[in-house]
Amino acid sequence: MIHPLLVPGILGLPSWLDFQPFLVTGLALGGVYALSGVGMVVLYRATGVLNLSFGAVGAMGALIAWSLTNHSTVPQGVAWLACILFSAVVTLAYGMVFGAALAKRDPLVKAAATLGLTLVLLGVMDLLWTTSGGASRSITLPSDNSGFMIGQIQVVWTQVIGLAVGIVMTIVTALFLRYTKLGTAMRAMANDREITATLGVPVRRVEAAAWFGCGVLSGIAGLLLADLVALDATTLTFLVISSVAAALIARLRSIWITFVAAIVIGIVDSMITPIQSLTNYRDMTPFVLAAAALLLFSRRGSVPLSGEGL
Amino acid sequence: MSNHQQLSRIRVSLALVAAVGMTVLAGCGSSSSSSSSTSTASSASSTSSSAVASSTSSCGPKPGQAATGTPIPLGAINTKEPGTDFTDIENMEGAYFACVNANGGVNGHPIKLFKLTEATQPAQNAADAKELVQTDHVVGISGSSSIIECAINSSYWQKLGYYVIAAGIAPECYATPNYADVNMGPRYSSDGAVQYVLSLKPSKIVFDQSNVPGTGYIAAGPAALASAAHVPITQLTENVPISDADAVALKEVDDAGPDGAVVLNFTPPEALVILQAAQKLGLEDRVKAWACSTPCDTDFLSTTLGPKWNDKFFVNAELTPPDPTNTPTMNLYKAILKQYGSDVSGGIGSFSEMGFTMGEIAVHALDGIKGAYTMKAVNQAFVNVKDFNTGMLCEPWTYGHYPLHIANNVDYTVTPDNGKMVIKQGCTAISSVDPQIAAYRKAAGG
Repeated sequence: MIHPLLVPGILGLPSWLDFQPFLVTGLALGGVYALSGVGMVVLYRATGVLNLSFGAVGAMGALIAWSLTNHSTVPQGVAWLACILFSAVVTLAYGMVFGAALAKRDPLVKAAATLGLTLVLLGVMDLLWTTSGGASRSITLPSDNSGFMIGQIQVVWTQVIGLAVGIVMTIVTALFLRYTKLGTAMRAMANDREITATLGVPVRRVEAAAWFGCGVLSGIAGLLLADLVALDATTLTFLVISSVAAALIARLRSIWITFVAAIVIGIVDSMITPIQSLTNYRDMTPFVLAAAALLLFSRRGSVPLSGEGL
Repeated sequence: MSNHQQLSRIRVSLALVAAVGMTVLAGCGSSSSSSSSTSTASSASSTSSSAVASSTSSCGPKPGQAATGTPIPLGAINTKEPGTDFTDIENMEGAYFACVNANGGVNGHPIKLFKLTEATQPAQNAADAKELVQTDHVVGISGSSSIIECAINSSYWQKLGYYVIAAGIAPECYATPNYADVNMGPRYSSDGAVQYVLSLKPSKIVFDQSNVPGTGYIAAGPAALASAAHVPITQLTENVPISDADAVALKEVDDAGPDGAVVLNFTPPEALVILQAAQKLGLEDRVKAWACSTPCDTDFLSTTLGPKWNDKFFVNAELTPPDPTNTPTMNLYKAILKQYGSDVSGGIGSFSEMGFTMGEIAVHALDGIKGAYTMKAVNQAFVNVKDFNTGMLCEPWTYGHYPLHIANNVDYTVTPDNGKMVIKQGCTAISSVDPQIAAYRKAAGG
């Protein structure tokens, strides 16, 4: 009988020991993807909008935080709050203006409209925070400077925070949806918006809360990803792809499946890195996993059509 | 609630949202006000700019007297896309020309630089070249730096008789008769970085670079050097922009091993995210040495990385290191950058040095023209540049009628030292073990 830990070596893969640090980085990124994915799913279920501007909004928030930290006397904590506040306000403003105007349009139109916001924000970021030449920016959280060892693996506190925030926000969101009046209204809207409205639920206010919450999450995710990945407008904007994939795997319905899918995407993406033959294809991970999951669901006939709550 | 009340509520909400948004943007405005404080700083620096003016006045023949003759139109094409941006190069050349124009110009003529960008799209490159020739009527090309421009346009320039002065990347920038570069480009600069780490006797080298066109050509140089030294080399490529720097840094260190060396060939922002990730994960001491090709030679990189990388990270420098150098040319470069280089976002560094050097060469060539500034006269002047001391390179620069041009093939190695880049190794010839270097030296009679 072959010991499981010897299998990688036999297949010409790096040893399990070599994989371990990648597991840590994958878990951290997966946690932040989960945070983003949960925000997107909740918003989709409450408003019918797949918010593709999630990454761009967080990116601009992070760049604002960078500017406040580096070009003013604003304390770092206030700069982070400004990032979250900006993301929340922009997302809410978009939701109030365009969300309402597009409420009766096809989901595809609604999603495409958020791409419009993405492009506008990308343009503004390119204008205000030019990336010309050799300079670049970075956000360093205090948690980057300390960590601990697990065996021979260095774990930085920011990585722990990335995973923890993903877990905590998923649990908090689940509890919020289950036990609060607003959460119940959101779940009701997820099932049937029209009936919910006829029952006297203030649909607009519930939608506004969903937009605002999604914005807050995009600000938090923007800050964490700016530290864990890079403070670059394009990079952060398109990192949303991994979260979208996780949300799609969950059929834009279950925040728990979104959470698990995001963690899996983060881990697989990272664990592929040391495998020479696959490393250049790792950017495909979210697409491949999402496509595989959707194919599997459709083959097993387990695609829920309606009525399944968050 | 009536519709009217609802509408009022929405309006109030929108007003609140707008107010909060404005507050946040006003906070961000400290960034804009940092722009305006940059302007204020500019005015502050223009207060001190009398001091600067005296040092920049040496860039032209008539200090303080603006050139009023017919403009000499030159053109440049630079890559600008996410993860790769070379526009500091043409912007710095533009700054140099602005200085020359403000101080008498070239025989009384100001130089007008048409700066175009491309995003690694062949059709766009071809269109840019045609726009420069047919719309802007440029009489010379100087200041180009693009990932694929040479590959796309080399035959076009050759057919029209343009001799391009560039900071090259693609093989055609070095292996064709109508391009000559002030830099060594990624291949020979990577050669330089690998050559230095080989002197540290590593057990293995990991060479990692951006996954862009031409990686095979670049990788051939380091591979030849490592092979000649009997040191195994692993070649890696990364998609840019890098979205998983922690994993990339871990992979490089794991592949190299404790006695190995990691050599990077990325633009500064990409190199920075890898090195910062390595620093965060405590990987800087897990290999014998880290090295990088020329783009990493910027103060901002050494400042951002901090002292942990002092004498641990070695960067090939194709041009004279600016920090420890106090020559009239270097001081002029810094003064021009300060006074005219507001759009050179990277500041002091290889990219702006390249732009400055190309400006110097172009002005030197144009200065020697006695008649009209026609396309033919300008390009003849460009190709005839011989043994011109730019003050920014290890050796005098020559264009010449050669089938290939690697005009800059002797370089420095620098290392971070508390926020500055200092010289680790003086001018050293890139090894002729690279067959292209050997071919050029033979063609140029070196």
